[in-house]
Amino acid sequence: MASKRPLRSMITTASSSQSLRPTQTSKASMVRTSACAFSSTASFRTPEHETQTADRPRWQQTPARMVAPFRIRPEAKGGVFKVNEDPRRLDEVYVRMLGPGGDKVLGDEVKWLAVTHKSFDHGRRGFNDRLAYLGRRIVELQTSQALINSPQENQWPRDANGKPQNDEFGRKPYLHPALNGLQGLSDEAEGLVLNRARLAPIAERYGLDKVTRWVPKRADNLKGSGIESVLMTSLYAIVGAVALERGGEVANKIVQDKILAPLGFSFAPDPYPRYV
Amino acid sequence: MKRIPISRCASQLLAPSPLPRRPLCPYAAAKHARRSIVPHSHRVQARFQSTVAVPDEGDLELEMAAHSGPASTSHSRSEPLPLESLPSPHPSAAERSTRLHALRSRLSLPTRFPLQALARTLVHPSADANPAFNNASLSILGRQLLGYYMTEWLLCTYPRLPMDVIFAAIEAYIGPKALATVASEWGIEAAEEPGGEIDSGLLQFKRIRTGDDLPAALRRQAPWKWNVTTTHKIMTTDEFGSEDAPPSPHALEKTPVPSEEAAQAFVRALIGALHVHLGSPLVKRFFRDHFLSRHLDISTLFDFRTPTRDLSHLCAREGFESPVARLISETGRLSRHPVFIVGVYSGRDKLGEGAGSSLDEARVRAAAAALKAWYLYKPAEVTVPSSMEGALDTSTWRPNYVDCGEVIV
Repeated sequence: MASKRPLRSMITTASSSQSLRPTQTSKASMVRTSACAFSSTASFRTPEHETQTADRPRWQQTPARMVAPFRIRPEAKGGVFKVNEDPRRLDEVYVRMLGPGGDKVLGDEVKWLAVTHKSFDHGRRGFNDRLAYLGRRIVELQTSQALINSPQENQWPRDANGKPQNDEFGRKPYLHPALNGLQGLSDEAEGLVLNRARLAPIAERYGLDKVTRWVPKRADNLKGSGIESVLMTSLYAIVGAVALERGGEVANKIVQDKILAPLGFSFAPDPYPRYV
Repeated sequence: MKRIPISRCASQLLAPSPLPRRPLCPYAAAKHARRSIVPHSHRVQARFQSTVAVPDEGDLELEMAAHSGPASTSHSRSEPLPLESLPSPHPSAAERSTRLHALRSRLSLPTRFPLQALARTLVHPSADANPAFNNASLSILGRQLLGYYMTEWLLCTYPRLPMDVIFAAIEAYIGPKALATVASEWGIEAAEEPGGEIDSGLLQFKRIRTGDDLPAALRRQAPWKWNVTTTHKIMTTDEFGSEDAPPSPHALEKTPVPSEEAAQAFVRALIGALHVHLGSPLVKRFFRDHFLSRHLDISTLFDFRTPTRDLSHLCAREGFESPVARLISETGRLSRHPVFIVGVYSGRDKLGEGAGSSLDEARVRAAAAALKAWYLYKPAEVTVPSSMEGALDTSTWRPNYVDCGEVIV
């Protein structure tokens, strides 16, 4: 059926990472109720002239039909919180965090999406929940592996001759080199490593607090509004975005070098990684 | 490790145990029995009639003889500890357990995977508090591996899923009930009571006595925040979007647990053990074979409250024309069972269609269908991030589609 074709093409053309707004307009005879046409295919519609409204990226503006003509709610207590609008400042933060060339690692939209909290603009420009979810899984797994590989005492206490000693029941566990370091892995140890109070200063060092887009409860009391939690979300979201766009290898490296190394873990450069 | 003198152990065993609420198996009775009492002949016969592995005390005697620590008492020199007083079977008993051999071959694991490691994954911390003998650390590692592989697959395959549906899907694939089901499908049986004399291939954990409540560590804590947002759940609790963080496996050392919790810990610990012993390529294949092969219909996990409003906001956000519901066809309007078929259109393109017995119902179903069509978008081919870990050929990598998020009303 003819009506099914634009639906399919909408779904397949949405696979490109560019903005979803198509460039073709609808027929001139139809009343233009939206900024751009629904369907991006030119198959059975006659190609019209380009729309006059510039195709602004999603991160830059709220969608036109979602904005009320004037504000009804009273102004926020504590003042208006100003967020960053400048792409260059965002690029600087990415370079500071991901190293030289860090601003080229992610695509344009994803770069902004990763630092946008759900509170910003009521979620109308997208938010980084999903990216933070994936990023947290990656960071936790890398932290566990770092805890396992970190220098710690022997897997099992040994006596003066190097022989493993018995426990109170007179037995010895099964000792294997692969099981080395597991005694250092526990939820408490992970909680000590990955808590807000330790990660927020790292994010601040990279400058994420200046470019994260969010709306605090009170602009004059950012700490009470939960800036630490928002910064952690941004940090994890950047890791998740890198994983989705560049792959797990790059994301793991970023977690090790940029998040865990400042927390005190050291990673020897390993040309032949055993366990990834 | 602080060594408890054997005399103190003996005094605990000699204390009269409270009357059990259900009849104990002969092995549990033997564990609580006094050491000085010689077992009756019928009890001895009952012991050898069951299918438990024959306890081999030869190893234990050798261990005790070789031990030269200062804390050993004369008791341990003269009589080795009976196996019933050990919290879990000796690691050397793993080689003799047919259950473990069968489990390893049933899961198609290579023979270089040691049976002692497999035996360790079956010991829950509530059975044996010693972290070197139980599966607590391995289950933490395995849980994170499972969470990572499942999340990346789900986010790459369905990039537009709302967060609530992601939570539900992850719980359906690798949640507690799913893992307990997987363990029972693998043929894992649980021992009635943990101890050193049972077969190494049984799942060992301390059971909750019948009639008792769930222990406090496993009960839901009163939420300290009255308003738990989705972002808070993502950052603070677990991967299933629960309201509180789950109890740490190491904290369950003294508490009885439900069998579901023990089975879930076993599956996670097995993944962790496979990772440390055999490496991540094998773990990824194992995960694909045992977890990704399970079919879940994600379209049934949606629960819309006001799909018409959500769809309207979605069209406004994406710049589509406002959705309009139009009646496509109908029958039996004045009868007792009318059927209306309504389509939701944006301009001239139909977004979704729904059938209902009233006009409103059909319109709402059509809007829900349109939203599902949006959220369940699935790209044709995906490369998951973990495929690039340690990969020599990075030319197969295709960047994944990153969606901006579900529509917020």
